[in-house]
Amino acid sequence: MKKLILTASLVLLPINTLLAASYTVDPSHTYVSFAINHLGFSTMRGKFDRQSGSLDYDPGSKKASVTIEIDAASIDTGHDKRDQHLSSPDFLNAVEHPTITFRSTKTGWSGGNLASVTGDLTILGVSKPVTLKVHSINCGQHPFNKKQVCGFDASGSIKRSDFGVNYGLPAIGEVLDLQIELEAVKN
Amino acid sequence: MEQLLDRPEFQSAIIPFFVALLVYGGLRKLVAPAWMIALFAAFLIASGLINGLNLIPLTGTRKIILLVLASLILASLAPYLIRRLKLQRVALPVLSILALLWVFGRVVMRMDITDIVLFLAAGVALIVWLLWSFARIADDDAKFHGAGLGLLLGVGLCASAAASALLGQLALSLAAATGGVLLAWVLTGNATGSGKTQTSFSILPYVLAASLIGLAGVIFARLPWYALIPLAAIPLATSLVPVKPATRFFRALLNSMPGLIIALTTTFWVWQAGSTNSSGY
Repeated sequence: MKKLILTASLVLLPINTLLAASYTVDPSHTYVSFAINHLGFSTMRGKFDRQSGSLDYDPGSKKASVTIEIDAASIDTGHDKRDQHLSSPDFLNAVEHPTITFRSTKTGWSGGNLASVTGDLTILGVSKPVTLKVHSINCGQHPFNKKQVCGFDASGSIKRSDFGVNYGLPAIGEVLDLQIELEAVKN
Repeated sequence: MEQLLDRPEFQSAIIPFFVALLVYGGLRKLVAPAWMIALFAAFLIASGLINGLNLIPLTGTRKIILLVLASLILASLAPYLIRRLKLQRVALPVLSILALLWVFGRVVMRMDITDIVLFLAAGVALIVWLLWSFARIADDDAKFHGAGLGLLLGVGLCASAAASALLGQLALSLAAATGGVLLAWVLTGNATGSGKTQTSFSILPYVLAASLIGLAGVIFARLPWYALIPLAAIPLATSLVPVKPATRFFRALLNSMPGLIIALTTTFWVWQAGSTNSSGY
């Protein structure tokens, strides 16, 4: 039995060691999207088209950190005029505050899996702690380019008034559901 | 009631208009700068309803709200604080340019040197021009408030026709309050706190509000810069109204006309030029 455990450890250890690495966010396979109530009628969805960031992931020692920087002016709800309004001082004020950032400060683990990421979300220069629930995280070799890749799906909610984005309250929803689907390539 | 207060037409037109009308009506015989107090009360309530009385984060828009309120206080107190007329005349452009730098400093620091020079030159030119052209009409109540009404209405409508309903509503609330003051002047007589009691500093609130909101529209909300040129001509156009009708009603009406015509024409031009509006909502 001891031999079996030792052998299993020897086999599994390199896999975890292999995964422990720094990754750079792949913008072409990363989606930061949101959903918000529209005047009480329906849910309006949108996403950001430009983002960058990094991921450090070490499941062996249960350590992970993630940083995402989002170009506020790249907001895309499929309607140009609305996107320009959302970039204006009424909402994201993208000229004055061009970047939205999320920097993790704490992670939660369930068994050996990353279960949650808590971090500081900064919008309009205001930073507030936000916890994202991690629904899945998968790492491995990309089948085509053979690079090591990690990807995760996570979601959470924020109150936009916490960040000083007050315009249109309460008609335009206060709670914003965030969804992040991210892929990162090993450095 | 709460639903009414959430509606833009109440926030930026009906409430500031009636607040200014009532405050001015109540104070006009008691204190000289009654119109400034009326505008202060109306704009404080309107900006609270539009933006919430929330100063964090201190964005450019919130700095503008603070500066407009501060300019109304300063304009009321300046004659007592700065007695020398020469000093008042120097203080006006200096304070206005400092306000410009405070509001746009964060954005200016990210511009390249050519854009910094262009923006600052245009901003300073706009402020100096408005100070000069308002000073020419400051001793005529009908012209002074008529030009203020037209200019703020134009800035508000153009900002709304661009991409910021917030900036638009702030300027429109001041225009509505000015309309309230002007109507009170028509109804109650000539003790408006302007005319002979007008000081050099009295022009500061109109100049600061119009120039800062207008420039914010250009920098933050895609308002075409050239829209500010006809709007800036409103005080001069008002000063050129030649006739002086006997009744206050016709004086107010006649002197408001150039501003209203230029404001509406410019707004139509901005809208036609393909500038965006906030119809996504």
